[in-house]
Amino acid sequence: MKRALAFLVAGLIGIGIGAYSALAMSGLLPGETRSFAGLDIHGWVGDLTTGSADASPYVRARIARHGLLALAKSEAIYFTREQDDHGGLLNERCRYRLSGGPMPSQWWSVTLYNSESYLPDNSDGALSFDASRAGEGAWSAIVSPNKPAEGENWISSRNAGRFDLTLRLYVPDEGVLDRPAEMIEMPVIERLDCEGDSA
Amino acid sequence: MRKWLAPAMTGLALAIIAHIAVLHYAPRMIMDRAMERLSERGTALHAFSRSLRTTPQTQTVVRPSPDLAYSICLFDMRQAPQGLRVRMAPYANYASLSFFDAETNNFLTLRGDGEAREVLLLPPQDGAAAAGTAIAPTERGIILVRRLAPSAEEFAAAAEVSEGDDCEPVRN
Repeated sequence: MKRALAFLVAGLIGIGIGAYSALAMSGLLPGETRSFAGLDIHGWVGDLTTGSADASPYVRARIARHGLLALAKSEAIYFTREQDDHGGLLNERCRYRLSGGPMPSQWWSVTLYNSESYLPDNSDGALSFDASRAGEGAWSAIVSPNKPAEGENWISSRNAGRFDLTLRLYVPDEGVLDRPAEMIEMPVIERLDCEGDSA
Repeated sequence: MRKWLAPAMTGLALAIIAHIAVLHYAPRMIMDRAMERLSERGTALHAFSRSLRTTPQTQTVVRPSPDLAYSICLFDMRQAPQGLRVRMAPYANYASLSFFDAETNNFLTLRGDGEAREVLLLPPQDGAAAAGTAIAPTERGIILVRRLAPSAEEFAAAAEVSEGDDCEPVRN
């Protein structure tokens, strides 16, 4: 009887540890988005196996949860950033300046998502910034819960809580898939100020 | 000490099995749930349904792009044994026709480049696909058209064009 109980307890503990570790390692636990990213370019993380049958089981599970229906790399590549230039987690209590230059792709966009991987619940109509508004050269946008001064591009973080930014590059230029770190000049996220900062 | 060895090894074996099982089944379960949710919200089986312009209030799957106009067709080859004829109408800006299997893999994408794209999607089977056809790796999945439409005007134009998309079972 005692021995049967030992097998039962060991079995249940094993199943628990096995299942929990799989959920944790593939980013399936609540609030977790990053795991096993194959690429980290200045804090923007992505994986070129996204969407393909070559993806590891961990990447596939993470994409199913946080990026379902993502395209394979020949059509689009995706990078996500959760931290500002100080290493702080992006959140709606702070204002940031997102800036960059031309991207090596046919079209690109940066979109804000909350920690559940959904667009935050606001009606500002300003949840992304894309190549059609960026023009040819350098560009910038303010990421903040309130609309910035006239003339500034805006990505609204209202009601986002903790959030991340996803950069999509559609139809990447030749060479990007082979040398992404060399060819992609990643946007910079500069923290401007936070609610409660002393004046 | 030795009497604990067998239970410990059993626990370890079950931990490995549980780990692998979660990784194997999680994507399929998430895809099933997404297809169910899309269906509940009116997305048709074997017909393209045009999504409303993506906003926080209309989003149905994780990480939708507010800059794209989406049309979605759910497929189930058990109900289309002779295949599905899928056509994406031409669009002047970026457009793509992409196919996802039940395990979330993007097994085919056709870029528009201003032209219509058409393919005959066949049920899972051995052998290579002939020209103009594709073989679905799993019986169920999702077909998605993306059209670049960052503004309300462009979304209206994409919506009009999407009337020409087709996703229909092949019949004798």
